[in-house]
Amino acid sequence: MYLEVKGIRKGFGEGDSRVEVLKDIDFGVEKGEICVMLGPSGSGKSTLLNIVGGIESADAGAIKVGADELVGMKEKDLSSYRRRHLGYIFQSYNLIGNLTVKENIEVGGYLSDNPLPIDDLIKKLGLWEHKDKIPNQISGGQQQRTSIGRAMIKNPDILLCDEPTGALDYSTSKEILKLIEDVNAEYGNTILMVTHNDAIKQMADRVIRLHDGAVRDVQVNESKMRAEDLEW
Amino acid sequence: MEGSRQGRIKNPLRRRWIRELRDDKGKYIALFLFLTLTIGFVSGFLVADNSMKKAYDDGFEKYNIEDGHFSLAMPIPDDLKKDLENENIKLTEQFYQDEDISKNKTVRAFKIRKKVNKSCLMEGRMPKNEKEVVIDRLFAENNGIEIGHRIKLGYFKYNITGLVALSDYSALFRNNSDMMFNATNFSVALVTEDGFNRIGFKNIVFQYAWEEQPGENVDYKKVEDILKDSGILTDYVRQKDNQAIMFTGDDMGGDKAMFIMLLYIVIVIMAFVFGVTTKSLIEQESTTIGALRASGFTKGELLAHYLKLPVMVVLIAAIIGNLLGYLGMKRIVVNMYFHSYSLTTYKTLWNSEAFLLTTVIPIIIILLVTFLMLVRMLSLPPLQFLRKELTRKKKKRAARLPNWSFMRRFRLRVIIQNRLGYAVLIVGIMMASLLLIFGMGMKPLMDSFRADIENTQIAKYQYVLKAKAKTDVKGAEKYCVNTLNYQGKEDIMAYGIKEESAYVKDIKLPDEEGIVLISSGFAEKYELKKGDRIKLNETYGKNEYELKVGGIYEYPPALSIFMERGMYNKVFDEKDDYYNGYFSDKKIKDIDERLIASTITLKDMTLISDQLNDSFGAILPMFGAFAIIIYVLLLYLLAKMIIDKNSQNISMLKILGYTSREAGGIYSKATAIVVVCALIFTLPLSERLMRVLYFYFMKDINGWLTYYLPAWLFVLIPTIGIVCYFFIHLLLTKKVRHVGLAHALRSME
Repeated sequence: MYLEVKGIRKGFGEGDSRVEVLKDIDFGVEKGEICVMLGPSGSGKSTLLNIVGGIESADAGAIKVGADELVGMKEKDLSSYRRRHLGYIFQSYNLIGNLTVKENIEVGGYLSDNPLPIDDLIKKLGLWEHKDKIPNQISGGQQQRTSIGRAMIKNPDILLCDEPTGALDYSTSKEILKLIEDVNAEYGNTILMVTHNDAIKQMADRVIRLHDGAVRDVQVNESKMRAEDLEW
Repeated sequence: MEGSRQGRIKNPLRRRWIRELRDDKGKYIALFLFLTLTIGFVSGFLVADNSMKKAYDDGFEKYNIEDGHFSLAMPIPDDLKKDLENENIKLTEQFYQDEDISKNKTVRAFKIRKKVNKSCLMEGRMPKNEKEVVIDRLFAENNGIEIGHRIKLGYFKYNITGLVALSDYSALFRNNSDMMFNATNFSVALVTEDGFNRIGFKNIVFQYAWEEQPGENVDYKKVEDILKDSGILTDYVRQKDNQAIMFTGDDMGGDKAMFIMLLYIVIVIMAFVFGVTTKSLIEQESTTIGALRASGFTKGELLAHYLKLPVMVVLIAAIIGNLLGYLGMKRIVVNMYFHSYSLTTYKTLWNSEAFLLTTVIPIIIILLVTFLMLVRMLSLPPLQFLRKELTRKKKKRAARLPNWSFMRRFRLRVIIQNRLGYAVLIVGIMMASLLLIFGMGMKPLMDSFRADIENTQIAKYQYVLKAKAKTDVKGAEKYCVNTLNYQGKEDIMAYGIKEESAYVKDIKLPDEEGIVLISSGFAEKYELKKGDRIKLNETYGKNEYELKVGGIYEYPPALSIFMERGMYNKVFDEKDDYYNGYFSDKKIKDIDERLIASTITLKDMTLISDQLNDSFGAILPMFGAFAIIIYVLLLYLLAKMIIDKNSQNISMLKILGYTSREAGGIYSKATAIVVVCALIFTLPLSERLMRVLYFYFMKDINGWLTYYLPAWLFVLIPTIGIVCYFFIHLLLTKKVRHVGLAHALRSME
């Protein structure tokens, strides 16, 4: 497995108020797969994504990405890990408000020694007309495309998507999912996507269901649906 | 059921301001310090200034200060006295004797005054017998002289029994025409009548002070004419022109205007800092405000909430600032005054004007700016807060930037985004640089003046004679000199010198009558140039001379005009062979001392720089220190604000893989660029402003100190600013390191 998660535990708080958010999580993802993590609010899926992203630390367990062992890494090494291997897409885009669309994408490109050609990427994302606009001049869907561009420009090994369609309407959500699918097809990135939208599981190679901090089941899809055919 | 219902819940926001204060303590401490120090510094000055000015003003009546005085070459003839009394002038004899008590130190001894120009005993007791003397307190302090010491006046020694301040010598000007007073080398003293006679009468000056008769008007034009017509007048000074009496009061007033100006510059900067940081706070709390407004909180409630902390900080700073002013700063200013002037005793007075100027008005300005900023921002609809769209303009376009590298464009965007904050920073830096120029530049200016005197000194000894006298000293050169008055306030030395003088070197004297060369000091102070016409009046005569400027002679330390001796004698209607002085590099010993009116040596010429050094030596470093505090606080507040405002972006960048150094560097380098550019590019503006203020303030002072700032100052000032920023940068780098990755994630939720 390219991404191996073993025995991950995570809790918050102290004493009586301590809550165990993740309890012995085990799973693996092959390189180039789209893996969807499903679960209701509070199931621990975002925390798990953040731990894989090196943003939060686990209390116990191990995570291996290729040859890198994440747990126990120092902050500087984690930063380097994110820089080399990861792209991040958030529900609320988190673009930098005073930078243009193109510059926001360059924020990601700066981190790579070999970024994808930016103009091609912007065209692919359908943002060419908007490349000189700042985030508050464009729609939510366009902002999420920009966020995808920022993550994709460095052609990361793993693309972490935290509810990427959570703030979008139905048709825009489908456009974004299709874009993620296209990116995966073209660049072969491993995609780990957190969502509570059950329909999205149909476009995944692997589906992990989380409930109350534990993996309820892992399902490998033999046949996937195309993003544009999803209905919910 | 009714009974079990909880009472009305208090506004939960009231607990929030304490947390906000705790979370942002750096900002509030900096603002507090900034205000406290400014209010303390200025209110202390104004309180001291006012208390001492009041004591000084009251002194005119309390000590019955003269309305004027004149000196005669002999005791006043009866007919002259009668003529003056007919003009409602009541004369009081005020003879004095100038005695050198050591090299270059002169004591002017008067008889104890009982009616006019009374003295204030500061320490010890008044003389009781002919062997006792009291001297000026400041002179004693400057020379380490104490009660019990002895000084020699004339041929005899006198015991010092006390230290006094003479009401007509609050500034120790030896001659009214002196450029500056000199409390180190000149003192006044009081002795008994027998003590006065004991000095001997070698250097006696027959001076008479007068008082106007109450209720009577005096025609001073007529009085002056009577005195001039007597032919024995050697000195005539009305109270309003008497520097020894008036200089102190004028100086007190002049400083007040300067300090109030300083206060308001700082307050306006402060008001903008409050405004900008408040705006930034609203931007950071946008979604919270949106949620509160959407939940039903009114604009007024939020306004009151966000105004609470600034109001408290400003009020506490005002109270502590005033306490600091009355208890601490006041003493510094009082000491400064007592170190410059021979002032009488004073009482600290409550100064309502100072309170209004330093506390009430600044508070109103700061709170008004904050209030208006809040009203403007909080009037946006809740949805705009929730969407973080805090602008009235419809979706602003991004400014087009040149095709620079990504990082350069990013930094430029940061600068554009924070332009208001940076504008405040730039103005603040400019003003702090001005203060620093003043604090650090005055000493080199005075040193340069001293060096100018040394380098351009005409002769080691300049003798002014009362009558013609021959000397066999080799190299001694005859010259003519006369003091004239320019624009009714400035004494100008008119020199008549030998063509190809061995002393006034490299001078090409005009050969046409009425054309003179003027010294570069004269030209600089009054902005005169070749071809200009100047009108000079006799100081104690009625003649007026209109002369044409034929050129400028490089002689910076004095205000003088030069012409050929023969021409001088023609212009001033003297005989062809007239002269009244010698230039000599050797001491002339073969002329009877009684024929020498004065001898000007290097020491006499450097008095002004020595005195200025003495008077301002203590306060100049304070201006420097205050400027550095302004640099540090402004840089800290605004650089921190930019980091705070962008902490979510910094967190986001870290999530994406930027190191703390890279993420923080984008913002801190943007600030660093603005700071360095502001330090370098506003320096000429600060210097220009300094020049304008210098010329303005120097207009009221006799003489001229060439405006000079050393080149190193223009390197040192930006360096100080950069060093200050470096420390702020280190502090903020730590802050950036502590911006957690969770910050961006939390904000998303």
